[in-house]
Amino acid sequence: MEKTIKNPFKKNPNKIHESMFDRILLVLNVVLLLLFCVVVLFPLLSFFSLGFSNSAFNSQVVLYPRGWTLWAYRYILMGEEATYFWRSFLNSVIITAVITIVSNLVEAMAAYPLSKADCPFRGGIMMYFIITMLFSAGVIPSYLLMYQLGLLNNIWSVILISISNVSNLLFFKTFFEGIPSDIEEAARLDGANELQMFFLIVVPMALPVIGSCCFFSIVGSWNSYGSAMLYINASATTQHPLAYYIYLLLSRLETVKNDPDVVAGIRNLQSAAMLLSIIPILCIYPYVIKYIKNGLTLGSVKG
Amino acid sequence: MQDHTYRSTDIAADAAEPVQTAPAAATAVKRPEDYGYWQTQFKRVKKYRRVLWFIIPAALFTLIFSYIPMLGVLFSFKGGDFNLLRGGVLENLFTGEWTFQNYLDIFVDISFLKGVLNTFIINIFKLLICFPLSIIVAVQLSELKSQTLSKIILIIICIPNFLSWAIVIGTWSGLLDSQGGVLNELLVMLNFIEPNYFTMSKDHLFKFFVILLAAWKGTGWGSIMFYAAIMAIDKSFYESATLEGANRLQKTWYLTIPAIMPTIALMLVLNISGFMAAGFEQIYTMMQVSEELEETQITLDTYIYTISIVNRTNIPFATALGVFNGLISLLLMLVGNAITTKTLHRSLW
Repeated sequence: MEKTIKNPFKKNPNKIHESMFDRILLVLNVVLLLLFCVVVLFPLLSFFSLGFSNSAFNSQVVLYPRGWTLWAYRYILMGEEATYFWRSFLNSVIITAVITIVSNLVEAMAAYPLSKADCPFRGGIMMYFIITMLFSAGVIPSYLLMYQLGLLNNIWSVILISISNVSNLLFFKTFFEGIPSDIEEAARLDGANELQMFFLIVVPMALPVIGSCCFFSIVGSWNSYGSAMLYINASATTQHPLAYYIYLLLSRLETVKNDPDVVAGIRNLQSAAMLLSIIPILCIYPYVIKYIKNGLTLGSVKG
Repeated sequence: MQDHTYRSTDIAADAAEPVQTAPAAATAVKRPEDYGYWQTQFKRVKKYRRVLWFIIPAALFTLIFSYIPMLGVLFSFKGGDFNLLRGGVLENLFTGEWTFQNYLDIFVDISFLKGVLNTFIINIFKLLICFPLSIIVAVQLSELKSQTLSKIILIIICIPNFLSWAIVIGTWSGLLDSQGGVLNELLVMLNFIEPNYFTMSKDHLFKFFVILLAAWKGTGWGSIMFYAAIMAIDKSFYESATLEGANRLQKTWYLTIPAIMPTIALMLVLNISGFMAAGFEQIYTMMQVSEELEETQITLDTYIYTISIVNRTNIPFATALGVFNGLISLLLMLVGNAITTKTLHRSLW
């Protein structure tokens, strides 16, 4: 019997040829997407080039710095702004670290017993948490609470208000429900108590979910300044998160300085401060890349 | 499904509870169904007594920072010269008179009505422009032949989502600055605009820039969800469509879009549930940058912020506004949830 062996390097002869229309569409598609990439990258490149440019050349900076200088960076990191900038940076690090660790730990712990189908008063407890997600009384009641607690103009007000995160709780709960009970049985037979069970068995299994929740906490708390605008006065400069510092730099409340260099180079200063403030985000951007590469499994769950 | 897990874990974990096999034994030993509600709960509390305290920290944080502020609703029923920031809050609560006037005032407040109108206009345009844009980008990405290329593009277009609003607005206002902004210079050079025309501080362009910046920041990240949904579609559908002679546009329209319809519907409902908020950080920062627009471009969030935190004029009225806002949002959420549970069999939470 005659047997033909397919050459794996030869193109599939059975493949249907694409029509002209489809090819044009494909090219158009690629062109549009690349255009979108340019629209995203051009403003960023152009703006961040300003930080390295001499303010006299500001209108000529298109894609790369003109009149190379590190004046703006020196001004922010070592000059007059240095104490304010570093203080804000430190505040942001504290806020982000505390929110990320405490919030996710607390919510994951609460999600663990609630993930059991026969947890007592499960529906009631879930309702207790979900109500806070659905209804909030607005900004003033929480402002007054912070006022009563004496936490106004203090970074702890920003931290404490963000600890409770019900959507993460729901997220953890859904994941924990999927952990097979046999594993917990086995651990229990080996003599694990509840704390060991949670921290040595459940948390390591849930690491991908906890990791992505931590990632979103980090990005969210690093970038948000809405609650800082509420609780922290613009004059309490030692308590500003970095994003709030950037906002104040932008909204020209800070430019009432008599130095003509600063007035002329305010865009350069803004650019430098903004680039410095996104360095931590750049450090965790590889996680986004990994997340996108690994097939976006979380995205489909989170919807 | 839930009932099944309940049974299996219950039987597996609680060895003291005998498994019922023969109906004859039913009279001798009580089944879980035979216990009363409180008895069942008590048994469960006993079973989970070592884990239940795990809930306490989260419950405490929720109590203090979410439930206690809800008591602040009471302040909205106070009128007259009631001042919250002088003396203790609780002391003040017992001094002023009780009134509904603050809630009635909402509906005759011109700034509030303007705020609602602006919030709705912005949200409707976001829904009409930003939302379809992220679907289109997701479809485009999925049409690329090389998955590596589509992922590289995705990584690039997601960058703005990870920048704070202050940075996004700073970047664009730097580019559009009438004194030396590059984009401004470029557009002037190409004779598209007159100098000093295309800036954020122009009243009639403000909403345009709100939408533009929202699209620039959110489209990439928004498309991820749809992209994941498209990737989950069975490839054999496309193969048979190709054999039937469908072109790319037809495959997109008759195959991709119907297949990701549940995701689209879910995101749409989520979007509409947030209709009372138009992005406080973005709009307030844009107002600060452009300096003069607080009167005409006011939205609900910025109005409440301005009258309560910035001006501190009428805090009971501002509280009433916040409560009203919260109630409308709650209503939208509940309606949205009812729609998704009915049509998609999926709860929003």
